[in-house]
Amino acid sequence: MRSLQREPGLLLALLAVIVLVCVFILYPQIRVIITPGTGYIDFLSGGTWIRSTSQSIQVMVLSTTTAVLLGFVFAYAMVYTDMPWKPFFRLIGILPLLSPPFVVAASYLILFGPRGLITYGIFGQTISVFGLGGIWGVQTIAFFPFAYQLIADVLSRSDARLEQAARNLGAGPWQVFRSVTLPLSRPGLGAAILTTAIYVLEDFGNPALIGGTFTVLPTQAYGLISGFGDLPGATAVSTLLLALALILYVAKIRLDGGRSFITVSGRASSMPRPPVPVVLTWACFVACLLLAVVILTVYGTLLVSALTLNFPNNLSFTTKHFEYITSDVNGTALQNTLIFGVVAAAFSAVFALVAGWLVERGSWPGRRVLDFLLIMPAAIPGLFFGIGYATAFNEAWLDWLDRGVLIIISMIFWNIPVGYQAAVAGLRQIDRTMDEAATSLGASSLRGFRDVLIPMLGGSISVGFVTTFVRAVTTLSVVIFLFTSGTTVATIRIFQLVNDLNWGRATAFTVADIGMAILALGGIALLSRGRIALGAARA
Amino acid sequence: MPSPSALQSLDAGAVHLRLAHVTKRFGDTAAVDDISFDVPRGSFATLLGPSGCGKTTTLRMIAGFYDPDAGDIVLGGRRINELPAHRRGTAMVFQDYALFPHMTVRGNVSYGLRLAKVAKDELARRVNETLDFVGLGKLGDRWPNQLSGGQQQRVAVARALVLRPEILLLDEPLSNLDAKLRVQLRWELRTLQQQLKMTFVYVTHDQDEALSLSDWIAVMNAGKVEQHGAPWEIYYRPKTAFLADFVGAVNLVPGTVREVRGGQATVQFGERSVTVPVPADTSLREGGEVKLCVRPEALGLAPRGATTDGAALPGTVARKAFLGDLMRYWVTIDGREWIVDQPDPGASTPLDGEVLVQVRPERVHVIAG
Ligand SMILES: Nc1ncnc2c1ncn2[C@@H]1O[C@H](COP(=O)(O)OP(=O)(O)OP(=O)(O)O)[C@@H](O)[C@H]1O
Ligand SMILES: [Mg+2]
Repeated sequence: MRSLQREPGLLLALLAVIVLVCVFILYPQIRVIITPGTGYIDFLSGGTWIRSTSQSIQVMVLSTTTAVLLGFVFAYAMVYTDMPWKPFFRLIGILPLLSPPFVVAASYLILFGPRGLITYGIFGQTISVFGLGGIWGVQTIAFFPFAYQLIADVLSRSDARLEQAARNLGAGPWQVFRSVTLPLSRPGLGAAILTTAIYVLEDFGNPALIGGTFTVLPTQAYGLISGFGDLPGATAVSTLLLALALILYVAKIRLDGGRSFITVSGRASSMPRPPVPVVLTWACFVACLLLAVVILTVYGTLLVSALTLNFPNNLSFTTKHFEYITSDVNGTALQNTLIFGVVAAAFSAVFALVAGWLVERGSWPGRRVLDFLLIMPAAIPGLFFGIGYATAFNEAWLDWLDRGVLIIISMIFWNIPVGYQAAVAGLRQIDRTMDEAATSLGASSLRGFRDVLIPMLGGSISVGFVTTFVRAVTTLSVVIFLFTSGTTVATIRIFQLVNDLNWGRATAFTVADIGMAILALGGIALLSRGRIALGAARA
Repeated sequence: MPSPSALQSLDAGAVHLRLAHVTKRFGDTAAVDDISFDVPRGSFATLLGPSGCGKTTTLRMIAGFYDPDAGDIVLGGRRINELPAHRRGTAMVFQDYALFPHMTVRGNVSYGLRLAKVAKDELARRVNETLDFVGLGKLGDRWPNQLSGGQQQRVAVARALVLRPEILLLDEPLSNLDAKLRVQLRWELRTLQQQLKMTFVYVTHDQDEALSLSDWIAVMNAGKVEQHGAPWEIYYRPKTAFLADFVGAVNLVPGTVREVRGGQATVQFGERSVTVPVPADTSLREGGEVKLCVRPEALGLAPRGATTDGAALPGTVARKAFLGDLMRYWVTIDGREWIVDQPDPGASTPLDGEVLVQVRPERVHVIAG
């Protein structure tokens, strides 16, 4: 506290962070929550929320259960067995993280839709694929890779030495897993399940594309605005959604202390684990192979569709879809995606770093509050965040503000938690005597931060950048209320084209979007020699 | 506001650092509890005390890393309580060295000068000079992780010294090194300090280190300074039983004052009594409880029946240990064990069984209470 009085630079930095957090994280949320006003009464008595809420919870429970089960099998196989093809499976597990989750729904429609390749093409059937069953299946496939990453992270952090010790005491592989691994990783697994549940709960794209009349909270909110211009209703629904997500998130924090990023590595962990029976290894291998086939089918369908004239009816090769997406407004959309992503990622990383430093190293009152505010966006559904920005900043006196800038700002602050927590975790690894050494040699706090801490932080700085970039180029729900024709982005165009059933162009866009994320991530992975940490929260 | 007493009678020439009624609390407990002392200019001053007694906390308040809850810190005649840590000119050497891993040795040593915007050639000259001074002239381009513990320690010292700080603070800088190196670097530090005539404030829990290095020692216990002064004073004239025990092996024998006369006191212990000089600042009253404090090496040992000067107490050797440079005996006298050290054990055959312990009254120190 005293150090703040003695160092004006520090005070200034702190004030700047507090103001930005209040304006861009706290204020939009408050605006959404207060917008309905007395409308809450109408809304609650109207009762439409009961159905969408119960349906939201219903699919959340179903999809989370299956996604976690599949994710667990995949994770167990990767961490515990020495099955073949692990590097291949590892890539399969990373690919979905780099793409908008709703591309699974797009692929599903191509294969199973009214004119789908399999349903109509092979079986000549036109069955209804919309509704609960479709969402359940699609979300299971879309989110099991996330569950896998989270669970693998938990399992690989369980101490291999303890397992070796238990084996040494005569326990069989299954006993070890049940009596040592599971009890020790129970909080981590619980947190992984809850995090997966949040993804599912706030998923907007998949239910929007294949939900049909089966509405969940995010699609209801979107429908109220786009269909009826009913802002009070939409904000009330969003607030309900936020409340549910917050409950899950608070429960998660109680379990894992609020870790919101995991390290996604291109390499296997070095710690050897006790061997598992050969039969189990092969069973795992077959299961992973099946899942890999499903994932490859999803993405392969997109790729083939993007490169053929009219998939599946006309399979002649063409580049015209790619020509289309690089021309005019579509070219702008791709360009916007890239620019927004890079700029948001850079600012988010820097801001997260400074904020992390101020909170971790500071000793001023109220830093717990700031810490909470900086982590909170991880619990905010993207749709809610987007509505918040639309509500708070769609003001006449803000007309001078470029929409693109607003989108960038929304991406910066929506993605703060990951970079922030990575910075805090990185700083905790650096002993405070490092700061003090710099101080005792005559460096002010800010100077010591610049000269000593930042160079020592290394990899933790890239975490915020990578995550923000990937999430910025793959999010649909945050931008759906913010874009204008000049500031449209790839995910918006994909969503529109899928709604128009323009599969060739939609899939070409998807391929380009995912390609961008892969290139960016690959580049950074090369720079950081294979280890990259990726934020787990998304929408 | 500086209390008047803090600046009063502060002779900037003689007193370099003054702590006046300094207190630091963490929660409810006072880590440092109302301590006051003066460190003479140009001295090697040591804060000595057991783990957790508040040494580091005191040093960190001097450095400016903690703000005292009460009291004044005066450096070179100037109250520095409000001065930010980076402007105090109190360079510090840390226990784990805290070398910057992303800078070379030269980078580490020049960092403070770069902050002070020292001109390039002057900077290079001073860095080279200092590196030579601590014997690292050839290692300037190494990275910290390419250095041994002792070399890292030297870099840490050089990094602080190159700034010609007002005062150098060292927090257990030798405790991570092996015993032999510790003794060697101890002398290097002492030599360095004497050549530079700089004021060092050194923190340690090792009494050997403190006694051999320091011009001045403050012994701390549970947040308080129990006594400060020259090593000799602390060792032979401790004011409390804790101090006597902490700075080395000691015999503490409870007794009762029977008579005080003319700077001499007769103290009864068990069935016996001894007449000893009364320390200058101690007042004894007849009937009061005291402790007799005798260092083991100040006692003599002789076989039964030998003629001795001074008091001779008959006892039995309970056990003995050969410590290389001396033989240590535990002798039972009237049911109480005394430690007696005999130098140069190779010169005679060790004693056993019934012995006489010789006590010279002038080597007995009396601790009140
Ligand atoms: N930042 C802190 N927060 C709370 N308590 C502290 C803090 N720093 C020190 N203390 C407490 O204050 C007391 C004094 O600690 P200090 O580090 O000064 O001891 P020390 O004499 O340096 O011990 P050591 O020889 O073990 O280094 C201890 O009881 C310690 O637990
Ligand atoms: Mg200490």
